[in-house]
Amino acid sequence: MIIEPPPSQPAVPLPPPAPFARKRRYVTWLSLSLMSFMALMVVIVYEARWVYPEIQAYFSQTGNLTGQQLATRSRGYLQIAQQHLLGEQPFDDEQRQTVRLNLDLAYGLIDVEVYRQRYRCTQPSLQTLNLLTERLEENAVTPFDTAAELLGPIDCLTSIEMNQLDLRGMAINEFSESTRRHNQILTYSSMVIFALGLLFWGMHERQLRRTERATKQTIAWMQHAMRDPLTGIGNRSALHQDVAAKKGAALALILVDIDFFKQYNDSLGHPEGDQLLRRLASLLKYVLGAKAKLYRLGGDEFAAVLPCDNDALLIGYCDQLTSVLEQADFKHPTHPHNERVTLSIGAVRFTAGEATFPDAYKAADKALYRVKSAGRNDWQITAAA
Amino acid sequence: MNAVNLIVVIRCCAYHYPKAIVACILLLLSWLSMPVYAQALSVINGEKTTTLSLNELRQQSTIILSVFDPFQGREVDMHGLEFRRFLVNQFGEVPPALHFTAWDDYEVTLSGWNDPKWLMVTEEDGELLTLRSRGPLRLVDQAYNDQRDIENLREFNDWIWMIRSIEARW
Repeated sequence: MIIEPPPSQPAVPLPPPAPFARKRRYVTWLSLSLMSFMALMVVIVYEARWVYPEIQAYFSQTGNLTGQQLATRSRGYLQIAQQHLLGEQPFDDEQRQTVRLNLDLAYGLIDVEVYRQRYRCTQPSLQTLNLLTERLEENAVTPFDTAAELLGPIDCLTSIEMNQLDLRGMAINEFSESTRRHNQILTYSSMVIFALGLLFWGMHERQLRRTERATKQTIAWMQHAMRDPLTGIGNRSALHQDVAAKKGAALALILVDIDFFKQYNDSLGHPEGDQLLRRLASLLKYVLGAKAKLYRLGGDEFAAVLPCDNDALLIGYCDQLTSVLEQADFKHPTHPHNERVTLSIGAVRFTAGEATFPDAYKAADKALYRVKSAGRNDWQITAAA
Repeated sequence: MNAVNLIVVIRCCAYHYPKAIVACILLLLSWLSMPVYAQALSVINGEKTTTLSLNELRQQSTIILSVFDPFQGREVDMHGLEFRRFLVNQFGEVPPALHFTAWDDYEVTLSGWNDPKWLMVTEEDGELLTLRSRGPLRLVDQAYNDQRDIENLREFNDWIWMIRSIEARW
């Protein structure tokens, strides 16, 4: 039997379609998921940055002098002035200066545009302070009357304080409401974004599993394509691939052909023929050991590739194959020269490589042909390729 | 001399002397009748206290700037001197911190004065600062930016009013 050299590249089947598109989609889901979680972080940071300055604005100066209202401070000076005016000590120049100082301080603290705009009593109070200062300087008013006159500005300042407190309370309430609203927005948007992130992550995981499954299927399919479905051993493609993978190794190639297999099938039927092929594959595996790789090249022809660095070892394998087959005693009722199945074997040693294998294959095939020509049921080793 | 006595003197003068003399006397007396407080700044460096008259500081005021004063709600022409330069003149260098005492008894210690933005104001719109106009000396940020909300006076709490003394804290 002459076997044509196989193509230099084994016909390895392509994996299932569209890996690029799948990878792109996979990246997109992952990116969307990561973007969602990043968006969540941005929302949280934004909210935190929004709340802190607001709190600063309302509460940072509470408890110190500048945290007090100007009206409060102004009222304080007017009340000090009143204390001096109504004190038991004689109202001399020093007392007058002290009162004037406090009136001036009070004036400076109430003479603010915001108060003038919002509170009608501000301007009259300023006028009262002006008038009282002048009259004090002229000694045209008694301390008691001056103290009584100051009640008007003090009332005004008290009402300003109350209104300002109300405004502050309203502002704080508004801030509180705004904070609550922001909290709600933060909570719901966080939940939505988190859910989206999880959804995208789930899509990413699903895509990942699909990709893994597809890869496994591809590998299984490729492995299946390299197997002989009848015997479970490798096929011709696998032979070429395995030899190419062991480049440089000292190997032996054994080609095995069943003698008069057509007659066997004709007499016992194809199912029995298939059975014989399976038994023979087992026998080859048994004799050549675990290190040998077996292949069915088609029909009744098998090949074995195994590590071998000397002819004696190879001769031993061939001898053993023949003797074990004899002991197995597979019946062949239509064998012209024998009652049992016999094999023709051609073998060669070679150093694995893409260039050397076709020559080795050719040499082993020639040896096999010579055995057949010589009457079959024998083996022959040819010189190293 | 109190103000009432002065007024009596002025009335007498107006009756017996020509108007021009009366006018001069009036001007003199009006100056004398100004309160004696808030006319000086104490500069304290350790044990040493220097009293600077406001007139002296006004003479040193060479900067005139138009600044929006949120307390007055309008643009004001502020006249003053660069505070950093003032500190260097007084202390030899800018102290790490300054302790301020104001006429309203406000006291505060602040640092970060090595900054040319601070203007020590002595006059505004051509008028001397008084306690009533939150003087006689006031520190303002002459170049505050848009980050300050002019509607929110709390954001201008670092403008120091009614300055009475400045003490170096080394």
